[in-house]
Amino acid sequence: MSRLDLLAELRETRPAAPAELRERVREIAAAAPAPRRRRPRLTWRRGAVVLVPAVLALAAAAIVLGRGGGSAPQVEHGAARGLAPFRSAGSGSALQTQVGAADKAAPAAVPPTRGRLQDYDATLALRVRGTSALSAATKRALAIVRSLGGFAASVDVNADGRQGDAALRLRVPVTHVQDALRRLGALGTITGEQTNVQDVQAGVNAIDREIARLQRQLGALRAGPQTATTTRKIAAITAHVERLQRSRANTVRTARLATISLALTTRAPAPPPKPVHHGPLHGAVVALTWLGIGALYALIVGGPVAALLLAVWLAARLLRRRAEQRLLERP
Amino acid sequence: MTTLQQAAEAHLDEVYGYLAYLTGDRGLAEDLAAETFERATRLWHRFDPERGGARTWLCQLARSVALDHFRSERRRARRELAWARERADAEEPRFAEGLSPALERALGRLSAGEREVVALRVVLDLDGATASRVLGISPSACSTRLSRALDRLEKELSADVAA
Repeated sequence: MSRLDLLAELRETRPAAPAELRERVREIAAAAPAPRRRRPRLTWRRGAVVLVPAVLALAAAAIVLGRGGGSAPQVEHGAARGLAPFRSAGSGSALQTQVGAADKAAPAAVPPTRGRLQDYDATLALRVRGTSALSAATKRALAIVRSLGGFAASVDVNADGRQGDAALRLRVPVTHVQDALRRLGALGTITGEQTNVQDVQAGVNAIDREIARLQRQLGALRAGPQTATTTRKIAAITAHVERLQRSRANTVRTARLATISLALTTRAPAPPPKPVHHGPLHGAVVALTWLGIGALYALIVGGPVAALLLAVWLAARLLRRRAEQRLLERP
Repeated sequence: MTTLQQAAEAHLDEVYGYLAYLTGDRGLAEDLAAETFERATRLWHRFDPERGGARTWLCQLARSVALDHFRSERRRARRELAWARERADAEEPRFAEGLSPALERALGRLSAGEREVVALRVVLDLDGATASRVLGISPSACSTRLSRALDRLEKELSADVAA
């Protein structure tokens, strides 16, 4: 018998279920409950149909919004460059002004208040072209200060061929501080400026009142009977008055001279830090980054466990198939 | 949506034929077919038409029922089993009405695994993918198994004729 004949015979004699069995199965099947309505199954294909356009739309939105969102921070950056406003600290006793990297022709010096004692500190940073200009500017600064009745408290110049820096601590009479700052500012390009004015008049007035009170006390003691105790008290009060007078004199002397810290350099200023643009999807990107980190950790930690479980499952399946094979080997 | 009653009407012959070839005992195949549909009644809510047709699902169920039977049968005494098989051989055709005695005998000498793939691919005429799904193997393994089974069947048939 050929193979074709063999196959034909097998197909032609296909077994048919006996009528009894058919009846039995009908009864069984009639008892079957109605199938439950099932939810649509999520397949890779269905998931891809939804996910791919969604990801593409998100990417497109990120690109479009990312470009559009860049203009707002630029405005903010521009505003940050105009660093001129005065900043008041306390109840008008201190005044501060600060200029950043703005190039200005003359420093915005705060004028000292006439008739009041103030500690006046100014910092001026200038950039000059080359070390020869640095040397000339240093000499010129010292000459300016001297011409205004001031002096240099310290001078520190460092130059190594192409690059150089100089730091000068100058004392100038407060009455000429504005003139000094204007003339010093003309020595180079201003890269930074800071002024700090501290009112010390109230402190001096308090010392004056204390001295007056002590002197009244001294007068009363001297007018009375001179005992050993009285003499000790007079000596103590006199010493205290002298200390207060020295302190007052020191404060007044300091307040008469303003301190200008002048920094000269040949180095180009560092470029301003590139502003970080946070688009509207920044939060989503951060969230996705953290999700990715979490997924990576889960993979590292759960990977070996998953691999072990997979190996166990594969081994169990192999054993089950082998057992089935043995069962089916029988005739 | 297909109901179990519709599926039973449409595929009972196939389930029964498959079990008859797998067990080599038509009486046993009847019992196992009934048990298959009883189990189907309980598990019908799990049937998903998108994963495969009702015929595939019922054949998978029938195979599981038959394997459970073989496992329990193995525990019985071999003598008793052999006696039962001899009786079945003597009284009536084991696989199907109309098969030549030589082919009946040749089929009887095949293993259950070999008869099963012949039943699915030849008698029920399932395609390779569906048959491999019922057997739980790859389509290429299914083809190899069928080819070997038919070779063996031919060989046994030739030997029977020669004898």
